[in-house]
Amino acid sequence: MTAGDVAVRIKGVGHQFGEAGETQYVRALADTSLDILRGELLCLIGPSGCGKSTLLNVVGGLMEPSSGSVEVSGHPLRGPRPSEIAFVFQENALFPWNTVEENVRLGMLFQGVPKSEHEPRARKSLEAVGLADFAKHYPGQLSGGMRQRAALARALALQTGILLMDEPFGALDEQTRMILGEDLSVLLSRTEKTIVFVTHSLGEAVFLADRVAVFSARPGSIKKIIKVDEPHPRNPSFVTSEKFTELRNELYALLHDEIRKAVSETAPTRNGAGGAA
Amino acid sequence: MARRSERTRQLASRTVQIAFLLAVLLLWYLATTFWGVNRLLLPNPVEVWEQLMEVLRSGNYLPDLRVTATEFVVAFLLSTTTGTVVGFFASRSRFWTRVFEPLFAGIFSIPIILFLPLYVLFFGLGLESKIALGATISFFPIVLATIAGFSNVDRTLITAARSMGASDWLLFRYVLLPAALPVILGGLRIGFTICLLSILGSETIASLAGLGHHIVELAENMEMSRMFAYIAFVVVMVALLNAVVSHLEARGRRRG
Amino acid sequence: MSSAHSSEIKSAASAPAFAARSSEDESRLKLARRFFFRHPGMVRLGIVIVIFIGWEIAARWFMDPLFISPPSRVFSSLGSVLDTSGVPAALRITFFELAVAFLIAVTVGLVIGLAIGLQPFARRSMMPIVLLVYGLPQITILPLFILFFGIGPASKIAFGVTHGVFPIVITVVAGIQNLKPILLTSARSMGASRWQLLRHVIFPHMIPSFFAGMRLGMSGVLLGVLLAELYVSTAGIGYFTQMFTENFDPTKLFGLIAMLAAMAIILNEIVRRAEVRFSRWR
Repeated sequence: MTAGDVAVRIKGVGHQFGEAGETQYVRALADTSLDILRGELLCLIGPSGCGKSTLLNVVGGLMEPSSGSVEVSGHPLRGPRPSEIAFVFQENALFPWNTVEENVRLGMLFQGVPKSEHEPRARKSLEAVGLADFAKHYPGQLSGGMRQRAALARALALQTGILLMDEPFGALDEQTRMILGEDLSVLLSRTEKTIVFVTHSLGEAVFLADRVAVFSARPGSIKKIIKVDEPHPRNPSFVTSEKFTELRNELYALLHDEIRKAVSETAPTRNGAGGAA
Repeated sequence: MARRSERTRQLASRTVQIAFLLAVLLLWYLATTFWGVNRLLLPNPVEVWEQLMEVLRSGNYLPDLRVTATEFVVAFLLSTTTGTVVGFFASRSRFWTRVFEPLFAGIFSIPIILFLPLYVLFFGLGLESKIALGATISFFPIVLATIAGFSNVDRTLITAARSMGASDWLLFRYVLLPAALPVILGGLRIGFTICLLSILGSETIASLAGLGHHIVELAENMEMSRMFAYIAFVVVMVALLNAVVSHLEARGRRRG
Repeated sequence: MSSAHSSEIKSAASAPAFAARSSEDESRLKLARRFFFRHPGMVRLGIVIVIFIGWEIAARWFMDPLFISPPSRVFSSLGSVLDTSGVPAALRITFFELAVAFLIAVTVGLVIGLAIGLQPFARRSMMPIVLLVYGLPQITILPLFILFFGIGPASKIAFGVTHGVFPIVITVVAGIQNLKPILLTSARSMGASRWQLLRHVIFPHMIPSFFAGMRLGMSGVLLGVLLAELYVSTAGIGYFTQMFTENFDPTKLFGLIAMLAAMAIILNEIVRRAEVRFSRWR
């Protein structure tokens, strides 16, 4: 990993929903500052409700933060920047009435990629995720794992410098996650994208990330950043190594208290009562 | 800010709705009072109101109301009893459900009011033809809902009850019926409305008495204001009945 | 079951030849039963045939021919119905009215549905009014329509349109409303313009609902047009239903109505097939 320049600069970003004093008020994110380096894979991990998805949406320009600012490639962010930032969501965001290939091409149409490029790019990205044979299938005909691969292919075809992934494997079973994680690592070693990856899974974070930003419970802020010094593509055997276990344990120690705090917090909830659900 | 804007949004849409209705009323009044729209086509709303009051006061509507009400009650009772009974027995086995359900659904897909002349030929212009047609038409949504309600009872519930030794009657009374009731009530509500509309419709087309017929009579005599008054009367009555039935259905659902 | 078995044993003991035949019949019966069990459609057809036979017998031998006519006579007289002067024209005009009313209802319904559905404020304020008007018993104003539009096709088309337009508006609005927000977010994040959002996300999502609405709209149009036709007894279908009724001619009346029913079935089927074809991704 080259000590490249800063792809995304997050300056004092905080966010709240609703006004102070209302029952709907929620302070999702406390002042967060972070520099995301070009070419690195940064994981955001933390307990539920700690604001990591909120931060991702802010970084992607989908949400304006209540406080603070974001700079992408040196320019302040004022809205979605499809030419530089692509998303993969946890929820299935493929258009169910289009085939996989049509979905990929539609993304390019939205971004403004010249028509002549559509076919070759689509083919390349579908091959990269291993869905070349399923190009003409509808999302409804695919498994969850394949759908997320298709969503990834759509994002890759946009050839953006930055890829934001919000728990993309969250809805999948453990085994599929494992496979997709390995494939993702292989894929990304070939590109030079900057990736921000939100996850709940400790193992996934350690396996995929160059750096892991650990969030505290709501209102979330970055508690600590852990470096994972291991070259990409990560070998599956890395998972059983001592280094992996150490890092995973470190994450666990950092997170455990925060998770407990998140579950039993007495911060204002929807109906005004505190405590766990 | 979220809650305040929600309230203002609701207020704004309510305002638009009321403004819209008032505007329509106003246009109606202006059109007939000042803009010289032919009174033979569109009566003055003030006159309509006066006629309505007179009708209500004099009880002029009573004989026709009695006819329509009789037709409706008898027809609905007929369709409800036959619909629920036939529906129940059709739902007893997957096989019979698959035989009858498409049959009923298929017949229901065409406007059965089309057969009104046949009923008139057979039963005459009196109440019998309206009752028969009303019962026929409203039979279908009721039987379909009954079939759907009973055949979609969760198998697990039935197994559990049987494993505890429930007899056929107990199973019906305490498992099947309460489980199927919401759907059946929904079907009854639809049947209610359809029966009412069919009766009014057949009175309009071929009848010697009843509210629908009275409106036709007024139209033929070009008594526009009175006709509008009667239309308003019937519309309000139907709306009230629908509201009552919906309320009853909601109550039935809540208990079940 | 056990009693049948024991009777078989008894008959087997008393008359061997007879028993052999009956067990053969039994297995054939079982096969037939299994066949029919797998084909409820055939049983349904059988029931319909039985009804027709019952109708035939009752009408031919037990009931007054002034009031009811057996199906055999009805079908053989279809030709004479069409020969009755004015009937083919009335049927053609009715079909024309149905088609025109449907097209108008679809177009108007789509436009209004889009106008209301795409703008949240419009939807919140106008939908309750739409639903209110939809709930009114339109049949009460049928005489009014005839007074306004006359006894020609215009009133029938208008009445059909008012019946058919509402389900279309409602389903179009619903189709737009239940679009998952994530799909819009995703498209926006890829840089879709407002027009692209409409054409590539909102519209394709709304189409299956639109077609379902068209199916309901067709039912509405059928109801409206046929009601109006039956009401007007001085021209069109209503004239002939009145004539056949007054002349106590159930044969021709059945025939005419059967043809109209067939028209309704065909039109419904066309729209239903279109719906299936355009909802494949669902």
